[in-house]
Amino acid sequence: MDIDTVQPAFQKKEFLAVLLAGFGNELLPLTSDNGDEPSPKALLPVANKPLLEYTLSWLEQSGIKDVLLIAPTIHESALHHHINSDTTASNLSIDLQTYDETTSHPSAPPSFSDTLPPALRRTLSLSPYRLESTSHGAIVSTCWYPAYAPEKGILVDEWGQIPTSPALVWDPKTDSLLHVDTPDELDRNAEEYGLKMDMLSRYPRTRLSSSLQDSHVYVCHRKVLQLLAQKPRFESFRQDFIPWLCKIQYQPSKRRKYAEFISSIPNQTTYLSQSLALTHSTTPSAAAQSVATLVPLEESSTPTTTSPNSSLPPPTFKVTITIHKSEDGLALRINNLYALLEMNRVFLSAHAQSAQRVGGKATPAPQVQGGALVDPKAQISADTMLGGSTQVGERTVCKKSVIGRHCIIGRNVKIVGSILLDHCVVEDGAKLDGCILGKNTKVGSRSELARVVSCGGYEVGGGGTSLFWFIYVRRQ
Amino acid sequence: MASKSGKEKLIDEEQEVLQAVVLADSWNRRFRPLTTKKPRCLLPICNAPLLDWTFESLALAGVQEVFVVCRSYSELIIQAINSSKWSKPNSGMKISPILTAKETYSAGDAMRDIYTRGLVTSEDFILVHGDLVSNVRIDEVVRVHKERRRKNKDAIMTVVVKEAGVGHRTRSRGDSPIFVVDSDTSECLHYEPAFAYPKKKLAHIPREVLNEHKQVEVRYDLIDCGIDVCSSEVPSLFQDNFDYLDIRRDFVHGVLTSDLLMKNIHIYVEKDGYAARVQDTKSYESVRFTFLSRWTFPLVPTTTTQAANATSTPPARNTSPNRPPPLGTISRSAQISRHTLIGASTSIGDNSRIVASVIGANCVIGSGVVIEDSYVFEGTTVESGCTVRRSIVGSGVVVREGSEVKEGVFGGDGVVVGPGARLREFERLSVPWTRGEGEGSDEDEDSDVEDMETSQGEVDKSTLGADSNAIVWLDKPPEDDDLESPENFLNRRYMRLGASLNVTTMTMPRTPSPSPPKRTTPDSDYDSHTDASVSGRSDLGASLSSGLMADKEFRSEVRQSLERAFAEDHSVDNAAVELKTLRMASNVPLSRVREGVVSAIVEKIPVVEEAAKQRVGRSRRTIGRWGELINRIGGVDAVETVTLLQRMKENYRKTWIVGAQMIHQLDQQSSSEEESEEDDDGDDDKPAGAVSRSAEASDGDDEDDEDD
Repeated sequence: MDIDTVQPAFQKKEFLAVLLAGFGNELLPLTSDNGDEPSPKALLPVANKPLLEYTLSWLEQSGIKDVLLIAPTIHESALHHHINSDTTASNLSIDLQTYDETTSHPSAPPSFSDTLPPALRRTLSLSPYRLESTSHGAIVSTCWYPAYAPEKGILVDEWGQIPTSPALVWDPKTDSLLHVDTPDELDRNAEEYGLKMDMLSRYPRTRLSSSLQDSHVYVCHRKVLQLLAQKPRFESFRQDFIPWLCKIQYQPSKRRKYAEFISSIPNQTTYLSQSLALTHSTTPSAAAQSVATLVPLEESSTPTTTSPNSSLPPPTFKVTITIHKSEDGLALRINNLYALLEMNRVFLSAHAQSAQRVGGKATPAPQVQGGALVDPKAQISADTMLGGSTQVGERTVCKKSVIGRHCIIGRNVKIVGSILLDHCVVEDGAKLDGCILGKNTKVGSRSELARVVSCGGYEVGGGGTSLFWFIYVRRQ
Repeated sequence: MASKSGKEKLIDEEQEVLQAVVLADSWNRRFRPLTTKKPRCLLPICNAPLLDWTFESLALAGVQEVFVVCRSYSELIIQAINSSKWSKPNSGMKISPILTAKETYSAGDAMRDIYTRGLVTSEDFILVHGDLVSNVRIDEVVRVHKERRRKNKDAIMTVVVKEAGVGHRTRSRGDSPIFVVDSDTSECLHYEPAFAYPKKKLAHIPREVLNEHKQVEVRYDLIDCGIDVCSSEVPSLFQDNFDYLDIRRDFVHGVLTSDLLMKNIHIYVEKDGYAARVQDTKSYESVRFTFLSRWTFPLVPTTTTQAANATSTPPARNTSPNRPPPLGTISRSAQISRHTLIGASTSIGDNSRIVASVIGANCVIGSGVVIEDSYVFEGTTVESGCTVRRSIVGSGVVVREGSEVKEGVFGGDGVVVGPGARLREFERLSVPWTRGEGEGSDEDEDSDVEDMETSQGEVDKSTLGADSNAIVWLDKPPEDDDLESPENFLNRRYMRLGASLNVTTMTMPRTPSPSPPKRTTPDSDYDSHTDASVSGRSDLGASLSSGLMADKEFRSEVRQSLERAFAEDHSVDNAAVELKTLRMASNVPLSRVREGVVSAIVEKIPVVEEAAKQRVGRSRRTIGRWGELINRIGGVDAVETVTLLQRMKENYRKTWIVGAQMIHQLDQQSSSEEESEEDDDGDDDKPAGAVSRSAEASDGDDEDDEDD
């Protein structure tokens, strides 16, 4: 989108983006501690760029100025360093808040509960997809994307379970999200979906599908925070709060109970400015720019309207749904290893294509960042990305891989379809196929690794060690 | 003729005779006691038997051979078939009555009988009920069905449904199913019946529907037209599964849930045509209305032979005095409004008023009679000074002088009431059973009537009038009420004529009615009359007889519309829209509408002889809920409202009591939105303003599970 067209007045305090950065337990061992140093999921790179960057740039494109970033305390220094370093290009004003968690999966309410309700605790991630234009008039707008169907031939089990998508009911006519199936309901009745007749009477023609996944992007009205405060037992925004919120739309008893949230009179001026701001933030060009716009990020962003006057109500009580079409680009939450690999692959092929278009050459150049030392006899394919200051030895072959910064790749090494994070060392003659190597991983010479995920700092001994399939390399 | 081209096409393409099976029996008793002497399919709709309309519908679709499966009163049905135009040599349709055994207790049994007799010889056939009224091009459905069959041998049945709103008047509230459909292939994945009582809270959709289908549609807005295009396997499936009784609840549901059959059922969503079953007295009214509005063209009163030579819509107001004797005479001073059909040889006396009603042939209507929204079958006499509202009066009935027949009364054939009878709402009357008369009917019917007779002792007959020969049908739930079936006692109440007005006064959970029932027009762009359907019986283009008339009619329309809104708890917006449309249609000034609304709201406030405090609370609730309507109907004019109220004070004593509070609250509402002044009493916890806007669907649905 063209940011110049956004009038500054609208950017001021119209939205506050709340980003939740979690531990990334689904991405273990990549997110396990490297020595004493934590590896926040937010800083995990996709195509050599930290996930956080994608989210931030997406937010910036949407005309949002203020970001509240919430992360575990142990990640504070790493994130703080990243935000204030030169590596980030954003002009956003980022407020970093932390919460103390002793366990990896948080259960204690965060200390800033007045700012943000405890329900937003889950590690969420985001597919940076533009805010929907219909969001004005809704108390919460949600965004869903088609569940990614893994390619045939790849046993998903190797990479752990891909999360199943919940069944949804929505009304395509009004874009209302009406029902979200929850694990509780599955426990109650594993055979059937129980849909309220109240809902069917109000919305007689609805769609039911379980092929959509939540992008965990929610555009909320400020009142949502008040509603959340009334429900202290809700643990998850998606699994508890949103399904409950949907029901208020049609259940008479709930409507009566929460009448004060539903019935406020729309204030014309706010309504206007909100919708204007949203229109600007949703200019389609944002999505059309490149695949990069559509890349998944790891954080959750909950851009919350924070109009200075908190008494301004939403025009209607409605939970809307926006469905991201797959034609508009791939959207994927990086909440499992396979998704991480897949997203890297998408970037590489997009890069290869664009290189072909621009260069028009038969063999487009690989994307090599400054300072990389590549031996002339090494073969680096176009769909490979090399980070800065990385060395590649002679007769080494790299295909469909992302290699981080400051890596040292020896001679006669073969790397296919792998991701190497920064500071990896691969000694001579090693073979890597479909591996994800954490930071500082060292692979001994003539090792053969296939489908290996290693945590940061792991060392694979040299000589003929061959590990197959999903072998989870634990820390030494 | 339209049906001809369809016929020829089919013959050319298929070289196969298109067969249809009509199930003439309904296997339920919703029309009793009207059906104690004749089958439901011979009840007149617009003065022609229902079965005729069914045949007409089939002829339109190019059906060549029809089997009519009859059980009760088969001799009457055979007689009707023989006397109909279809039995003439060149009618193009061969109708053969099939007499099934008395032991045929359900549609399933009838299907098994069809199978054993080997009636169906074609590969596909049309299965309809004897109460179908439709102008759907069934041949198109058959074509779609056959095409699908070519690709998928397991697609055994195509069910014709019609899109409509939830509250559409033809949609029976007592029996309205939920369909889960794959919108790409029209495959029906799940069928779930839903009745008004016992109230269904959850629709149970099997999780496995999403295993094979990425996205499905859940539809609660479809009217089941009762037209099925079946393959010849269907009867044999009934034969194999002896427990299939009902075609929908057992067969469709059974096939879809069966793991063994592996058969598919599809739906066909009809867009343009009209199709409905006269399943209950409520749909009887609605179908009648549709007919008179000519939405079912070419199935309209003037085109069916039997009806055509006997009717005129609307009849000539002023029949010439020298009209030939066999035709009835309609008095010069009689007022006959639109949407009225009057049979041949019927005479109407002086100063009588007939509004939106159907009067059969050979009736005698005395002078000063008011008949509104009613159906009077042939040969009935209504003597002077009677009032008949929203009722069905059977044939040969005599209503003696000065009687009053209220909403929902069914008078069976041959009943005599009056003089001076005051019939209660929903009263059902019939003549005592005489042995030997109904030899053809089964014992069930006999014993039923006998039961009624034996219980007559308990009934207070004083209201029926001195000359009455009637027995009263007691309205009580049977001991073995089957809640699984739509025929259960309470659910049946939702299907009666006039039920929309009165159902809510009964002690039972209300059904949600989120949208105004009369808003959706399934017949959109069928003709230019569409927007006139806003109110159930608003008037169409014909000229208005007199200004006074229009005014009266309009007032009654407003009253009915509001009653509906109160009873079904519409939102203020919806009620306002309905009123606005009404105003446009009748072309009356706004003040008239306001008058109607204000008086209706005043009447809505119950007069209680309790402490003033409670009275305040009650009136405040009513005004809180509906007061806003006064402003919504167009133009806020507090002065006029108050003036109206004052004028009304003179008319009503009651207004005196509530008027003062009302003015106070209306003032409060229009002047201050933020509800700053808290009232002294605390019996209502919400400010009136908030209630009015939020209680949009405040059904009595309090037992919803709360998450906290």
